Amino acid sequence: MLGFRPETGVGLTGGFVAADRTRRAVLAAGAACLPILAVSGCKGVGALAAPPRPAPDVAILRAAIAAEEVMIARYDAVVRGSDGLAAALRPLRAEHRAHLAQLRSRLIVPPAAASRSAAASADRSAAASRSGGRSAAAAPASRSAAAAPALDGASGRGSGDAGSGSAASGEAGDVPAGRAEAISFLQGAERTAAAALLRKLPAVSPSLAQLMASVAASEATHVAALATAAGTG
Amino acid sequence: MARTSLRPVAANEVSALQAALAAEHAAVYGYGVVGAYLSGTALTTATSDWVAHEVARDSLESMLRSAGRQPVAAAVAYRLPHRVHSAAGAMSLAVTLEDRVATAYLGVVAVTSPRIREFGARELLAAATRAASWRGRTVAFPGFPAGALSAARG
Repeated sequence: MLGFRPETGVGLTGGFVAADRTRRAVLAAGAACLPILAVSGCKGVGALAAPPRPAPDVAILRAAIAAEEVMIARYDAVVRGSDGLAAALRPLRAEHRAHLAQLRSRLIVPPAAASRSAAASADRSAAASRSGGRSAAAAPASRSAAAAPALDGASGRGSGDAGSGSAASGEAGDVPAGRAEAISFLQGAERTAAAALLRKLPAVSPSLAQLMASVAASEATHVAALATAAGTG
Repeated sequence: MARTSLRPVAANEVSALQAALAAEHAAVYGYGVVGAYLSGTALTTATSDWVAHEVARDSLESMLRSAGRQPVAAAVAYRLPHRVHSAAGAMSLAVTLEDRVATAYLGVVAVTSPRIREFGARELLAAATRAASWRGRTVAFPGFPAGALSAARG
């Protein structure tokens, strides 16, 4: 019934064309939005009227992605250290990998910083030509400022699943040696991760809130699944 | 009750809460069938889950009334997704009921009011926990229909 609708509600949180609503600024901002719309799959006048506001979502997404990478590294460490637990932990780790892939897919920033800046400069010239070449600065400049954290994140992380392994493995922390201790360690990590996602719910778009709430719910169910894993295998 | 202070005002908030309430009505009805085929600890769990859905139903009705809205009523009877003849069938029905409730709360999470969003997330988490218990395993994306997310386990 309730399908997965990426566009639904993305525009509800308002736009980043808040400061200057002159016709010129709106035109310039419209031109600036085009690449983002192309990436996110938005179409039509409605999307232009209320463009997505990427900055808060992107910063929170980056934190959620980093948290999933650390979680996967912790599972990797426990699986390596305990043969008896590996079979029980693999399905849970696979779900974290699915979380990570889905969170990464929500980053609307192109992974390659180079193509990003090329697109941005193309936006500026397009905006400049539309606004008569005079002050195209207003809207594109504010957009660049909003996108800056995203650029940092994309450049450090690469694309696809490439970054999940070695980068995060150093962040696994000291996984306790004993079987029961390792399970307890992972349970604590799951609880912490779920709570962190839920705390950030008010700040994100409806669409991302749904994904983050679902991931948090999944992580909460892992706590009980880990208890079962500790008792068997 | 603390939840009565969550006053939905926007139309999308009201419709999301009404959809969640309709799912809770169906779950309360369905758990009556589930419990009839179970015994022992499974029956104890089913009874506890049944009560949880009644509590959630009451909270939703209270939230809607406090906003001046008429809560949707329960149907007299519900068509079950499949016939139940056994304990295994009853547990399968419980999974379906919880999945539908979870999906409805995913809609509540999409509203803009932070407190109603938080309420939806909390109930989504509770439904996911019950579903995992009946299913015997976890899923990557509780509330999302299977296959809705490309990376979701089928």
